[in-house]
Amino acid sequence: MQEPVVRVIGATLSAAYAAFIVWMAISQPQSLAEVAGGLSASVGAYRVDPVGFNDGLRFFHQDRFVEARAAFARADAASLDPLTQFYIAYSYYREGWGRVSHDDEAYTAGLKVLDRAISLAPDGRIVVDDPQLQMRSADELRAELVAGQTREWSDLNPMRVLRSRK
Amino acid sequence: MTPVREALVLPLTFLTVVLCGGLHLTTPVTIEAPTLFSLVLASLVLGVLVQTGTLAPVRLMHGGRSPLANVNGLVVLMTAFLATAQVLSMMTPASGLPALALSVFFLIAILQLLAAGVDRIRFLRVWAVTLLSAFTIKFILLAALTGPADRPLARALQVLVEGLTLGAFSQPVEPASSGYLAFVTLALYLFGLALLPGMQRAALVRRH
Repeated sequence: MQEPVVRVIGATLSAAYAAFIVWMAISQPQSLAEVAGGLSASVGAYRVDPVGFNDGLRFFHQDRFVEARAAFARADAASLDPLTQFYIAYSYYREGWGRVSHDDEAYTAGLKVLDRAISLAPDGRIVVDDPQLQMRSADELRAELVAGQTREWSDLNPMRVLRSRK
Repeated sequence: MTPVREALVLPLTFLTVVLCGGLHLTTPVTIEAPTLFSLVLASLVLGVLVQTGTLAPVRLMHGGRSPLANVNGLVVLMTAFLATAQVLSMMTPASGLPALALSVFFLIAILQLLAAGVDRIRFLRVWAVTLLSAFTIKFILLAALTGPADRPLARALQVLVEGLTLGAFSQPVEPASSGYLAFVTLALYLFGLALLPGMQRAALVRRH
């Protein structure tokens, strides 16, 4: 092979490898699926599995949240799709919601997933066209999750039991 | 030095060291950048590399080479610097008294190498021994003293050390695989250093 070709290949490979390391350090992927998904997303080739997503949606609307999250995780293996992540966060909200008190652990997990979804969405805006949801934007869901974790005097209001899950 | 070594082997070796050196096989797995102090130490090591003739920058970058060759040379210099910083960062314990002690140990070792003015072979030997010593301290000695203790004597020793150092000795527990990964990374780094283009000595010519 001619010397200039070797040098061009070397420089290109080094730049790509260095970019990969920087991307790994910034995004901190937790699994090989996330690494593969992140790499395919960087070239615009990442796709959510529609079958898994529809399964997740069906479970979600049946209030089977654990199953829904498993299906959503299968559909969005690299956790890069804002819509799927929004539904996962919503499932944590609905699972953790209680008439008297909320499950802080579920709300914290939901908030973490939602923040990730917001960071992935273009302009940080997620709006879902699902008539079965009362909160159709990430902003509304986030406010509800944050409010659920906040301790205030209104928590002692007995009228709270009349509130409904969104 | 062949173009393959300069353009492919050296940058890819050092970049692999940067990647593997930053990997922390905890749960969840994290990738960490080198610490600021290790960057300072790495710049000193780069000076030692040049002084000892282990690295001759003039063989990587000069006006007589093509721009593309100079880019390759610059990549080798930059990746060698980053790999050195990452290895030093990897060999330094995470926190407390051991982190301070190992940092001072590295600083003194590098300053001694700067002052000694050794040649390439001796530098590579001394540097390998220095890094292997740090590896032994962090991944064998400290891991044994701060890791989970399964025998009463080991637990008693840990309590004693913790008490004597007022808790400044404890380290985050890392899996055994971290040590193996660090060893391979260290070997790869030393392999890369040995491949660096060194200072060429003038040949001795006998005149009659």
